[in-house]
Amino acid sequence: MKRSWLLACLLCASAAAQVKYEDIIKSPGEDWLTYAGSYSGWRYSPLEEITAENVGSLASKWVYRVPNSRKLQTSPLVYQGVMYVTDANSVYALDGAAGRLIWQYVDTRVEEQSNNRGAAILGNRVYITTSDNYLTALDRRTGALLFSKNFADVAKNTKSTAAPFVAGDKVIVGSSGGDSGMRGFIAGLSAETGEEIWKTYTVPEKDGDPGSETWGRMLGWGGGAAWLSGTFDPELNLLYWTTGNPWPDFNPDTRPGDNLYTCSLVALDLDTGEMRWHFQFTPHDTHDWDAQSWPVLVDIDWRGSKSKVVLHANRNGFFYMLDRVTGEFLRATQLIDNVTWSSGIDDSGRPVLIDDKDPTTEGNWVCPSVKGATNWMGQTYNPGTGLLYVITLEQCGLYSKSLQVPVPMKNFPGGGATEKGGQVIVRALDPKTGKRVWEYPMTGVGLMWSGLVSTSGGVVFAGDDDGSFIALDARTGKHLWHFSLGEQLNASPIVYEAGDKQYVAIASSTAIFSFGLFEPMKPVPLPKITIQE
Amino acid sequence: MNGRLVLRVLAGIVLALPLMAQHGRYLRESENPALGTPEAIAAGAKLYATSCAGCHGPDGSGGRGPNLVQRTLWHPLSDEAIFNVVRKGVPGTDMPPLDLSDEDTWKLVAFLHAMTGPAAETPAPGDPEAGRELFWGNEAGCSGCHSILGEGGHTAPDLTNVGGSRPLAVIKEAITNPSKDLFWLGKEAVVVTLKSGQIVKGVARNRNNYSLQVVDTSGDLHLIPMLDVAALTISGSSPMPGDYAQRLSGQELENLLAYLSRQTLRPPQASATSEGK
Repeated sequence: MKRSWLLACLLCASAAAQVKYEDIIKSPGEDWLTYAGSYSGWRYSPLEEITAENVGSLASKWVYRVPNSRKLQTSPLVYQGVMYVTDANSVYALDGAAGRLIWQYVDTRVEEQSNNRGAAILGNRVYITTSDNYLTALDRRTGALLFSKNFADVAKNTKSTAAPFVAGDKVIVGSSGGDSGMRGFIAGLSAETGEEIWKTYTVPEKDGDPGSETWGRMLGWGGGAAWLSGTFDPELNLLYWTTGNPWPDFNPDTRPGDNLYTCSLVALDLDTGEMRWHFQFTPHDTHDWDAQSWPVLVDIDWRGSKSKVVLHANRNGFFYMLDRVTGEFLRATQLIDNVTWSSGIDDSGRPVLIDDKDPTTEGNWVCPSVKGATNWMGQTYNPGTGLLYVITLEQCGLYSKSLQVPVPMKNFPGGGATEKGGQVIVRALDPKTGKRVWEYPMTGVGLMWSGLVSTSGGVVFAGDDDGSFIALDARTGKHLWHFSLGEQLNASPIVYEAGDKQYVAIASSTAIFSFGLFEPMKPVPLPKITIQE
Repeated sequence: MNGRLVLRVLAGIVLALPLMAQHGRYLRESENPALGTPEAIAAGAKLYATSCAGCHGPDGSGGRGPNLVQRTLWHPLSDEAIFNVVRKGVPGTDMPPLDLSDEDTWKLVAFLHAMTGPAAETPAPGDPEAGRELFWGNEAGCSGCHSILGEGGHTAPDLTNVGGSRPLAVIKEAITNPSKDLFWLGKEAVVVTLKSGQIVKGVARNRNNYSLQVVDTSGDLHLIPMLDVAALTISGSSPMPGDYAQRLSGQELENLLAYLSRQTLRPPQASATSEGK
């Protein structure tokens, strides 16, 4: 009797130890289950052990060198103390407390070696996408392969770099490659089998398709890549995804019109992929200002009533707020100081253009630079302070236009762009007003792509442009702690718990670093070890 | 075509050459006319036995010359590169140039390709259906520990892509001589007695003096700080039985290899499909 009770308990514990959709809706807590930590895109942890008062004693707990890595962009996931990090076509499962490798999976057959930004998790499965567009499911405990299913043709210039995104019983994937001609899409795949359930294209293919009246000759190759995962409102059942630049990037002569739905935020129905609404930040973009940056979902008091809004700091230099039920434009403020292409955003949400700011054959200096006023790096919204924290870049760039006839898939963006100088500045924004509360300037010339995470302990963690990992006071922006990781940072940090301790982790270019509060090391006596014959 | 255009085209070709060489690594770009042809592979095998086996071993496992089969990570070499090494030798080493016709050289390369490339690229003889029954049945009992597409055991390496990632000779050796060249750490069968009294049995996927990462027989993961461990028992041999060479008949082994060699994540050619589970 006792034995069967024990067995039953083991079985129920085993059955419970799976990631459920409800767990992801509630996350993060001890675990970090999606790229941005939560469906709302907050990159915020409710863990309380590390605070603004004690973060000064943060110490490195372990480092894991990811084999053959050169420029990690992975945002790790953590479930039950196991951390999952990715590189191109590969996953590494690490002991989140000890930093030791548990299993690794490397798909050596893939020729493409694109960047990879992370994994997704549901049930006992960890999902990655390969550079050549296969959704691969692995057993989260052993790394055993469960399926690998193609969702797009790499020969049509589509690659995969975004972390897959689990919602309900689906895995949402996207498309990269918009700088040399392709047709962007967002797809909902079965989490069980990898089969396609829906695919929603972000640009029209032919005359008569929605938005085709906003294009010229480039129908079917117009870009609008969806190379970053997005956010999700389970109550509205809507996915919020950003789309990339129109192609050719810097020579718009062949694509007169607004070029829908590039440089936009689109709201898609999770079940069908139907586009419920779209909002285009930069119509007829000529500066490669993809809209890839986080659509952060918050509920705030707006004009006397509680409103469901989406906040979006855009590469074009402006900070937007939209009604996330309808897509209605509510407000825009200037995100960075130096914006020279537009004098502001009008009441309809359209930028007011300043003349002669398109790329020219001689080259034209415009601010912001091609890297944008912000970019895909993680942002964080902290409910404790009510502030949104954004990595911004004050930088101008020289935009050149080529008169060469654009040919799709020849890696030709219709010109080019360079930048000079520049400074990365962490900015705390008040969503109620759109205005800055504080800022923290970094040393460097804007090379990094690292982002932010914040905690209920009142700390904002950031990768620094000089290769340091830093902690700032979430209320004031004052420096609290730093640690040099010794190389460029291109990934965003996460917060998790393992063995009842809070950790904060980040990928450098080649390694994963994990930190926790300092405590003196206890000596580890060797247990009795017997080697059996 | 004016002169400037010719120059541009030439420049394009020159720039594209390194890329073409890189892509030539892959099977579908091979120019080998004998590739995958059973008769040519058989002829190549005879050439190998007389010209190569003396140094590289009859099964490619090396000797005076390098092991041609066993590699830590599988990246196929291009057939053209192998062709050139066979014909020109490797200057400064004992590897001499071979005086063979183009046709015979391609046959030899086709055999080397079949011997050293992923098993799935060259259909292995035997009955894959009978091999499937062996894998999933009690007689061989492979699926008690190994998995394919999520079915089977959890403690031994997953074999879903074994044919797509390992040469046939390596798979064969792993079955018939599992202890050869085996690096134990990461595959140790362990019994862990915790200070709490709890006992965990399984395979240690990693271990050092400070922590243990164990997958138990039901597939659950245990992350264990060594501070919590009272006693640790490690099996002195591989959890993989060592008697398959005796337990299976020659025909049974061939059938099992036929099944395993067809387990591939992605079929190498559109016509070749995996046998499913």
